[in-house]
Amino acid sequence: MDLRGQSIPDELYLLCALHNIGATSSDRSLTLEEISRWTANEPEKARENLEKLMRTNYVIVNFNEGVERFHITTDGIRKVLSMYS
Amino acid sequence: MKICMLTWEFPPRIVGGIARHCLGLAKALAKQNHEVHVVTLDFPGAPAFEDLEGVKVHRTKTDLGHPNFITWTFIFNHFMEKKVATLNQDVGFDVIHVHDWLTGPAGIASKHYLNKPLVSTVHSTEIGRVQGLHNADSYLIDGLEWWLTYEAGKLIVVSESLTWELQRHFQLPPEKIVVIPNAVDATKYKGEIDREAVKRRFGIEPFENLVLFVGRLVPQKGVEYLINAVPQIIRRHNEAKFIITGDGWSKYYLENLARSTGYDDRIRFLGFISDSELVTLTMSADVLVVPSIYEPFGIVALEGMAAGVPIVAVNVGGLAEIVEHDRTGVLVYPKNPESIAWGVNRVLADPGYSQSMIQNAKKKVQEVYSWKAVAQRTIEVYEDACRR
Repeated sequence: MDLRGQSIPDELYLLCALHNIGATSSDRSLTLEEISRWTANEPEKARENLEKLMRTNYVIVNFNEGVERFHITTDGIRKVLSMYS
Repeated sequence: MKICMLTWEFPPRIVGGIARHCLGLAKALAKQNHEVHVVTLDFPGAPAFEDLEGVKVHRTKTDLGHPNFITWTFIFNHFMEKKVATLNQDVGFDVIHVHDWLTGPAGIASKHYLNKPLVSTVHSTEIGRVQGLHNADSYLIDGLEWWLTYEAGKLIVVSESLTWELQRHFQLPPEKIVVIPNAVDATKYKGEIDREAVKRRFGIEPFENLVLFVGRLVPQKGVEYLINAVPQIIRRHNEAKFIITGDGWSKYYLENLARSTGYDDRIRFLGFISDSELVTLTMSADVLVVPSIYEPFGIVALEGMAAGVPIVAVNVGGLAEIVEHDRTGVLVYPKNPESIAWGVNRVLADPGYSQSMIQNAKKKVQEVYSWKAVAQRTIEVYEDACRR
């Protein structure tokens, strides 16, 4: 992926998309299927990138009635903002 | 005056210098009995409204989204515009003050439908941040920046170098631009700290030298040149350790680069840390390095000067205006690891030289870079914009 002429890793592009669609708190968290649809990513690819983002604490998952829902953390928000500030 | 300030960054939503600038300016204006409303974006855990030492902070929620950043920007500007319109019914603003392109559309719209003067502070430009315009997003951002400079009655810039950049790139008349530098709240660094304890908390022994970087991990900040300077610094100062605070999309690249130097055990990436931790860490550092390749101001250098840390900064943009070589810091060549290593080694090798620079730097901060003075000059710009 490309950010204004410079390469950024795929998972950060996903992080940016999650932020911009508003998945920034638990009450606005999204399922894997919703994330795949919003970002036009295959579910497998989206999951792979989400897992990378969870390992670095930029995204967290919670379970609502057995369904995984993802949203970005405050560090994740700051990471996104650093791309355009 | 009744002031409406628009910014996408405001504490605790802190990324770069804009949040700190807006907080410092808004508080100083409120202290001088002006009514200041800051309209900004929401942040998890932060209240939708708060009164912060007299500054009324309104955090708007953006109820719609889109994966594309620029589209999202226009959406949140719509929600900001709505907030400004609602507030204006009760407050009756005298002036709208926008910080950078990100809140430009809301500011421009408010100027026209409320019939209010518009002032904009330009903190940097797209063409400078990314060193050229490389794709459609960059061209659009550049266009939005031009549009904002055209619509604003007066422009505030934070350094002379940015004035020249704006005049050259946007063909702006010089009389439209006023230079008001950033400032720093030096009282943050007044308290006593136990430097040894702070160093230990970050894994550094008291006898080891702490070389600090503070900032976003993006190419503009030039961290790669500091990392490439590490071997040359360690050859002269084997006890040096490096702490890199902040985060950004270049972090993975920089971590890999640190490993490639063979000294990754000496280089620690801290990520984001709290403001209070940053203050104590800065006060405990033996040298603060600002290796940016583009820096219209460089508030980090000013904070280091206020904190009593010797500064090694590159000779670019606003840094060259803040740091006086050999008097308030050491200026080195940009994009040049050898030069950065030379500067750091010089500071670490001569504590007497460092001490004299620290004293000069502290004095300069107190005399030139106070928020009180910045607020006073900003009011003069508002008054001028109101007369037009």
